[in-house]
Amino acid sequence: MRHIPEDELHAYLDQGLSRSQCVEIESHLAACASCQAARDGIAALRDRTTALLSKLAPPRSFPPEFESLRRRAASEVSARRRRAHLAAWAASLVAAVGLGWTASFLLRPHEPVGLPAAGQVATLPVSTRVARPADDRPARRDTATIQPSRRRAAVKAVAAAALPRVIPPPALELSSIDIPRSDVGFELDGMWRTMSWAGAQAEAGDQLPHIDGLPVVQVQVQTSEQGKQPLMVVAQQLASGEVIRTIEGPTSDVSHLLARRAMSDPMPTMTPGDSAPRDAVPSDTDHADRTMAMQRGDRMLVITGALPSDSLLAMIRRLNAEMRSK
Amino acid sequence: MTDELEQLYQTTYTAVVRFLYRKVWDAERAEDLAQEVFVRALTHRPEKPRAWVFAVAANLARDEARAAVRRKRHLTLLKADPVAQPTVEPAADVLVEHDERVASVQQALSTLTPRDREILLLWDAGLSYPEIATQTGLALGAVGTTLARARRRLIDAHDRQHTIEGSHAAHS
Repeated sequence: MRHIPEDELHAYLDQGLSRSQCVEIESHLAACASCQAARDGIAALRDRTTALLSKLAPPRSFPPEFESLRRRAASEVSARRRRAHLAAWAASLVAAVGLGWTASFLLRPHEPVGLPAAGQVATLPVSTRVARPADDRPARRDTATIQPSRRRAAVKAVAAAALPRVIPPPALELSSIDIPRSDVGFELDGMWRTMSWAGAQAEAGDQLPHIDGLPVVQVQVQTSEQGKQPLMVVAQQLASGEVIRTIEGPTSDVSHLLARRAMSDPMPTMTPGDSAPRDAVPSDTDHADRTMAMQRGDRMLVITGALPSDSLLAMIRRLNAEMRSK
Repeated sequence: MTDELEQLYQTTYTAVVRFLYRKVWDAERAEDLAQEVFVRALTHRPEKPRAWVFAVAANLARDEARAAVRRKRHLTLLKADPVAQPTVEPAADVLVEHDERVASVQQALSTLTPRDREILLLWDAGLSYPEIATQTGLALGAVGTTLARARRRLIDAHDRQHTIEGSHAAHS
């Protein structure tokens, strides 16, 4: 009597076997102590796997109302339909002209038999005008002798072939569901508070990221849970009028913030690694923000602004050194 | 008007979010993608919605991973040491923070081959053997074999870490 292989026991416990396979396994199990032990071992392994994986769950999940998804789907469908209509309209114009030519071969100008078929395509009146010059072609006599039923079928076939094909819309790109980057503000998602400089200093103390000596334009704070140091964005203005931002917060939050920005920005404005040649940076990035990030333990320090990368690099190093010494 | 998809949404939304979370490691992103999956389901009306939803979720997560690689190319990450040479750090730094136990499971999961991991996650998301087979192109008979291997490897990798951590603790 053969023992039950391990994978079959997995499939058995996972209810992935047919009824007859189950019966076979159960009858063997009833008589075989070693397979019973194997089954118990695998059941335990299976439970442990499930328990381990259950730790890998997102912290919370608030499913939105299904109705809101339905609305989103409906608006996507109508947008798609508008595009399809446009394509269909263009195609029907082509079809009408094409049909007119073909119909002129098949129909005498005043013969009523063709009308029901012509009704299938509302644009036929347009096409007959196009078709008229072809009436005197020699082919007309031959085609006019076709039996009416065959003639109708032929027109139908032509009409079917000429019916506008709906061009499938392009698949939804991930980028299109991201909010476009606004030119004015620094885009932030989640719960943010704009604070006064004094208030922010009271809250974050020495960890408030900023460049000494520059006027502060704005301080934004996102409080994270469990009373940890919040994520802070400090905007300061340079003498030249450019605004630079220093960001400090938990690595995941900061990288998420940057990722959101990078994603909604079609141009790669972040500075490539230092190994990349300088002239690889497109010239129009002069007005675009560059970003320098520095990992500090489980937190991240970032400077972003429309400055040359070596200036940003110098700034972030100084800032990091200052924050360390405090 | 409740339809089949709405019922599916009520019963599997959380599982889809969890499935995505284990691929993108970002709770908010996982939710966005899960909603996108159901919006697509509403416009496509697939025949077998449950398997379809997970197939689309897997595709979105793959696209997401590719986009993440592209993004990272544009981000200079520097070491904390101010005198150290700037280097581009790998993805590990950008992962979501979580407590050590979670990290150790995540680490263990990352030792599996992509296919084994995929099948384990699909099983854990509640898909049946035939559904997993259809979605992954695996023979029905091979699902059990793959799951047996994936589970064994996950547990082994996880236990190995704990042995190492344990011995570290003993030394310190």
